[in-house]
Amino acid sequence: MSDITKMRNIGISAHIDSGKTTLSERILFYSNRIHAIHEVRGKDGVGATMDSMELERERGITIASAATNVKWKGHSINVIDTPGHVDFTIEVERSLRVLDGAILVLCSVGGVQSQSITVDRQMKRYNVPRIAFVNKCDRTGANPYRVKNQLVEKLGLNAVLMQIPIGLEDHLEGVVDLVTMQAVYFDGPSGESLRYEEIPSELLGEAQEKREELLDAVSMVSDELMEAMLEESVTAEVINRAVRQATIKLDLVPVFMGSAYKNKGIQPLLDAVVNYLPNPAQVTNTALDLDDAEKGITLVADEDLPAVILAFKLEDGKYGQLTYIRIYQGRLKRGDELINTRTRKKFKVGRLVRMHANSMEDINDALCGDIAALFGVDCASGDTFCHPSLNYSLTSMYVPKPVISLALTPVDKKSSDNMAKALNRFTKEDPTFTTYVDAESNQTIIQGMGELHLEVYVERMRREYKADVNTSRPEVAYREAISQRADFNYTHRKQTGGSGQFARIAGYIEPLVTSEDEKDYEFVNLIKGGVIPTDFIPSCDKGFQLAIQKGSQLGFPIVGVRAVINDGAFHPVDSSDHAFQTAALAAFREAYEKANPIILEPIMKVVVEGPTEFQGNIFASINQRRGMIVSSTEDGNESIIEAEVPLSEMFGYSTNLRSLTQGKAEYTMELSKYNRIPTSIGEELKKNYAEKKNRSR
Amino acid sequence: MDIQELNALSPLRAFEESLGGGLGRGNLGVLVSRHGIGKTACLVHLATDKLFRNEHIVHVSFSGNVEHVINWYKEVFRQISEDKPLKDASAIYNSILANRVVMNFSQENISVEKVLNSLETLIRQGSFNADAVMLDGYKLTLASEDDVRKIKQFAQDMRIEVWFSVSPVRPNVEFDENGVPSTIFKYEELIDALIGLKYDEAVDKVVMTLVKHEGIIDPKPMRVTLDPKTMLISV
Repeated sequence: MSDITKMRNIGISAHIDSGKTTLSERILFYSNRIHAIHEVRGKDGVGATMDSMELERERGITIASAATNVKWKGHSINVIDTPGHVDFTIEVERSLRVLDGAILVLCSVGGVQSQSITVDRQMKRYNVPRIAFVNKCDRTGANPYRVKNQLVEKLGLNAVLMQIPIGLEDHLEGVVDLVTMQAVYFDGPSGESLRYEEIPSELLGEAQEKREELLDAVSMVSDELMEAMLEESVTAEVINRAVRQATIKLDLVPVFMGSAYKNKGIQPLLDAVVNYLPNPAQVTNTALDLDDAEKGITLVADEDLPAVILAFKLEDGKYGQLTYIRIYQGRLKRGDELINTRTRKKFKVGRLVRMHANSMEDINDALCGDIAALFGVDCASGDTFCHPSLNYSLTSMYVPKPVISLALTPVDKKSSDNMAKALNRFTKEDPTFTTYVDAESNQTIIQGMGELHLEVYVERMRREYKADVNTSRPEVAYREAISQRADFNYTHRKQTGGSGQFARIAGYIEPLVTSEDEKDYEFVNLIKGGVIPTDFIPSCDKGFQLAIQKGSQLGFPIVGVRAVINDGAFHPVDSSDHAFQTAALAAFREAYEKANPIILEPIMKVVVEGPTEFQGNIFASINQRRGMIVSSTEDGNESIIEAEVPLSEMFGYSTNLRSLTQGKAEYTMELSKYNRIPTSIGEELKKNYAEKKNRSR
Repeated sequence: MDIQELNALSPLRAFEESLGGGLGRGNLGVLVSRHGIGKTACLVHLATDKLFRNEHIVHVSFSGNVEHVINWYKEVFRQISEDKPLKDASAIYNSILANRVVMNFSQENISVEKVLNSLETLIRQGSFNADAVMLDGYKLTLASEDDVRKIKQFAQDMRIEVWFSVSPVRPNVEFDENGVPSTIFKYEELIDALIGLKYDEAVDKVVMTLVKHEGIIDPKPMRVTLDPKTMLISV
């Protein structure tokens, strides 16, 4: 495929259980890549093709995004299947970075749910043009009109219906195309043959009315269509062109509908991907020039320019180590030399492949705009590869800080080795997953975005790496802070034969009022007259930075502190970098105790959705968990309750919620802020920490 | 200044004075005007003043957009805390939030029973000790007398103050010289305080008139007005 105008890179983003995996499956089927359709939780035990990981099959959710190439009417479409659970949003964000457009899948019954709101916010952040697909129109209570209205009201999108349904719930037969004004039916055992008919007479009035709405909405953002309407020369081509332009400019979100499960409405959706979503050349991408003070450079989708490539996903699967890449500029051939601009290491392109969910195809070259995969490249996800003449980095992706940790203890030596291998891989794949060895307990600690996030990695360790590990109870990533100013004046002196050590520093620490950018630490130098030589000022800074890594209350990092030095003394022989670092470290610790230190805990924004009849139970469950109810919204029989709850109280909430609501409610959560912990709980934590410390001595 | 000083200086003290010290638990208060006069802001200002005094508030909205209501609170708080610079403003804001719940009903023509039922669930099962409920945009002029009676009973049973902001739903409603539509008087005996809001061009203020209080209809201008720019109650 050499024509960039016939290329599409799209994502399928949605709320969990709105049927996006089934939809992906149907897209693969109709584009003739697979020969049978497997249901996500199918009886044949094969599972949908996109969920290539065993674990995902078991849980019925999609964890890692797999990039898949399909062909549709002469176009090459790369489909990125993205996970729906909030614990894995880094995956969603990472795939959005490489997408040029997306299908927002919504359930015709559930409509715009909290996860759709999160995903939509992410799409807005990356300016991703989108089309909406209202799925599950065969379900009881299906109402695509209501979903369209929610897109307008809840997400603030200029959503317009491109179709109306022919029948709903178990009477769903097909759709009316409001552009061509035809009825479309899906015949054959898997809906593979399309039959176009006249619009049923009972739907004609409504179809005309909705078409008017469509034309009105689109003409507001398209002069060409407006003129055509005035001249009464509106054709399908004019409408399609106008919808395409408006969608790419993010002025419009065309809404399609059907039922992936019942094989209805998928082919028109694929047409819409081709017709309305941008090709890679229509999207502006910028890189930072590392040789020119990180100046922004607009990349040009021109295959003759030097290559700029993003490694957006690593996978260690049955084919070995795979690196998914997106080419933004230039072309890539086997044998080409590239440089990883983060590590400055050069490497040669070996095997180049195009991926299907569970199979792959060797290719000789790939052009700008395309998504492909490389074998055996040592890198981390998010790295930029360039032609050796360039030194660009693609804009860094937003990476949230981990909020939860877990200690791992391998059961034997073999598991220990395998665990190390697994952790090495996972941390490269997922920047929100980090690991370190705790110096005191000598245990391996893993950190991530939520309970489920860590659970999945532990499971993957067991299954994919045969690493059997015992896990501790998950622990919350607390923060320490100070609540008032405290002065210090510390002299470090040591004389043990040979040259001694001497350094004196004085000043104060004070709370740093957290502004928008949430700075954790600031160093201020007010030394006058050289009482501390300039050479040793950075040593003081380093000493403080060492001190804030671990507070004395719980051993968590200290945040929001300003360290100021305004006096000191040195010795011409005995003062050194080391002496001043040590003095700063000790001075900080001394002042910290006087600065009325406090503990901060992560507070999660929790959104619970479920039937109104369980509202009371949900309120009570939040109340029991030291939660604060922010709002509750009732729409018919559905309630959405938004609350703020400390993370430490959220362990086991999914099980609790399930039993309280007969499994009919679900929740999502994300980090909202850090708050001061109630004194009684803080004291308890401090006591436990002190005991643990004593034990390890 | 600290929160006590701010409370003492608040124009809401003059507002309460006009009501003989406040509306009082178990009573219904109504703010009524044409559309777009600033009732929601006024209601939010009333609620924020209560929050400042450690009271618990449920703000009931029928607009379908919680974010919108939350933004009103943010904005009113910002204006109050900037007008008379408040110490530790952001910490105070965070602490009062714990005493406010926004309850939103998106469905058209929701029944009074359902609203009261949800409120009771929140108060009892959610252990939220509400002191006042603000019914923002409730279609009081379309409600039956029985509905209003139920709300009154609820206010008395739960020992809470209930405030309504009301605009007439139907077009061509006649307003009197105090900005009060004729359609409101049918429940007159159930309403404990009825306040009309009307823009007065001559003074460029929204003037507030206490139309009915303590069972007597005897319109008296209040000492407070609404500033048409900030939409806040001022003396």
